Amino acid sequence: MIRFDQVSKRYEGGHEALSQLSFEVAAGEMAFVTGHSGAGKSTLLKLIALIERPSHGQIVVDGQSLAKVGRGGIPRLRRRLGMVFQDHRLLMDRTVFANVELPLMIGGIAPAERSRRVRAALEKVGLLSYERQLPDSLSTGEQQRVGIARAIVARPAVLIADEPTGNLDPQLAVEIMGLFAEFQDIGTTVLVASHDLPLIKRMRKRVVVLDHGRLVADIASEEVL
Amino acid sequence: MNAPVDPENAVPRSERSQARRFGGWREHHGWSAAASLRRLGGRPLGTLMTVAVLGLALALPLAFYLLLANVQAMGSALGQNPAVSVFLKADQAGAQAKLLAGELRDRTDVAAVTLKTPQQGLDELATLQGFSGAVHALDDANPLPWVLVVQPRAGLDAAAVDALVQALRSERSVDLVQDSGQWRQRLDALLGAGHRVVLVLAGLLALAALLVVGNTVRTDIASRSEEIGVLLLLGASRAFVRRPYLYAGIWYGLFGGVLASLLALAIELALAGPAAELDRAYGGALTLGALPWWLLFAAPLAAAVLGWIGARLVSAWQLRKAA
Repeated sequence: MIRFDQVSKRYEGGHEALSQLSFEVAAGEMAFVTGHSGAGKSTLLKLIALIERPSHGQIVVDGQSLAKVGRGGIPRLRRRLGMVFQDHRLLMDRTVFANVELPLMIGGIAPAERSRRVRAALEKVGLLSYERQLPDSLSTGEQQRVGIARAIVARPAVLIADEPTGNLDPQLAVEIMGLFAEFQDIGTTVLVASHDLPLIKRMRKRVVVLDHGRLVADIASEEVL
Repeated sequence: MNAPVDPENAVPRSERSQARRFGGWREHHGWSAAASLRRLGGRPLGTLMTVAVLGLALALPLAFYLLLANVQAMGSALGQNPAVSVFLKADQAGAQAKLLAGELRDRTDVAAVTLKTPQQGLDELATLQGFSGAVHALDDANPLPWVLVVQPRAGLDAAAVDALVQALRSERSVDLVQDSGQWRQRLDALLGAGHRVVLVLAGLLALAALLVVGNTVRTDIASRSEEIGVLLLLGASRAFVRRPYLYAGIWYGLFGGVLASLLALAIELALAGPAAELDRAYGGALTLGALPWWLLFAAPLAAAVLGWIGARLVSAWQLRKAA
């Protein structure tokens, strides 16, 4: 579950990226956050991952108030999140397997268990046969799928994605979004920031629309046309 | 790509046992040690240069230690029985000399007194290289006085020996008193200063080693800032991120320390020939020492600790900026 309660974020210099934002994504729900460039989508995700702190208001993620998470608690919180980035953020000098394995190593999972879960995650995104390759040798879409496998391998309660289909062709974008929908189906809360309106419409999930940091529309899945 | 969802792999899990956590922690230590070693091996030239700088910096104190230890050993060997030579006035006859020798033997601070006649003195002089001609030129005239070689009692401190020398000088029949122990005292004072210099030098060079490792690790961290950013986003603690760099510091220090020990051994071997010559010249009285084996092992360990400290300081500072 993700809850924003009157959240504002003002950066040094005075720019207000988010203003009095309130919404809630229930546990096991999938929602899109959309808006034009600069609407505050990325800031919203940064606040959830505690990359930034809100200037005002309260955020609750997976039952935990982020205001109560100190510096030392940030890694623990992030281990409960799965994050997918537009630029993948893969480590190019490590194999696909090693990249996906990272969250499990960080979590202190034993090697045998790690190996089993990494292969399961790679199988899910259709890249099991690529496990020994370096990310450089993969296409952009394949790299994004490695990023998704890495995000889900630690079985996060919440999955957030920042423009995960930004560099992908439409067909691949639909496939990636289908993967996110599958994770929602098994109880993971999924929040995807995207400005790809045709794709969002096609997915028929809830849509939160931002404009200049303000919530301008909150469209339920059944209302998406 | 559209394989069916495996609930076990997607449902969030929470806690693991402490034993599993410890196992993961231990395993990451092993991984970090191996990964950092691989990274060092991946850039052999840079690693070699850093290790060489560390080795040279750490070999210097070892070499100075070796030098001082040997000078001290030489001093001990040559000054084992410091004697006080008492030259009587030229007009003093043998009877007065024997009388004074007897009086001195009765003193509690004197261990032994050896009486040398003017003829014995002349004979000794004749044996010295370059003096035989001069001695022959004297014909029958012997200008040398009676000499008493006074051996102070063993264990006397410098002040007590000084008091004995002063007492000898105050004797009316005495012309000159030569204290051969004085040079030993001066040498000891010099060695004391030398030890202090070596300590200061070792401290400064250890600091230099720390800075070298710190700067190398700083460069490593800077070149992997992207990786560090990803790890932090994935929930890695700072300790987790820092671990490979700490091991890199340990490896740099350890290899530098091993090189320093090898260099010190090489210096010792290079000096072995001249030292043996010197020993022979002194009739085997010198016991020139080698570096103690424990020091050769302790140097790499101490260097590894230095490397760890350097890496720890720098990585803490760098990661604070990255977080």
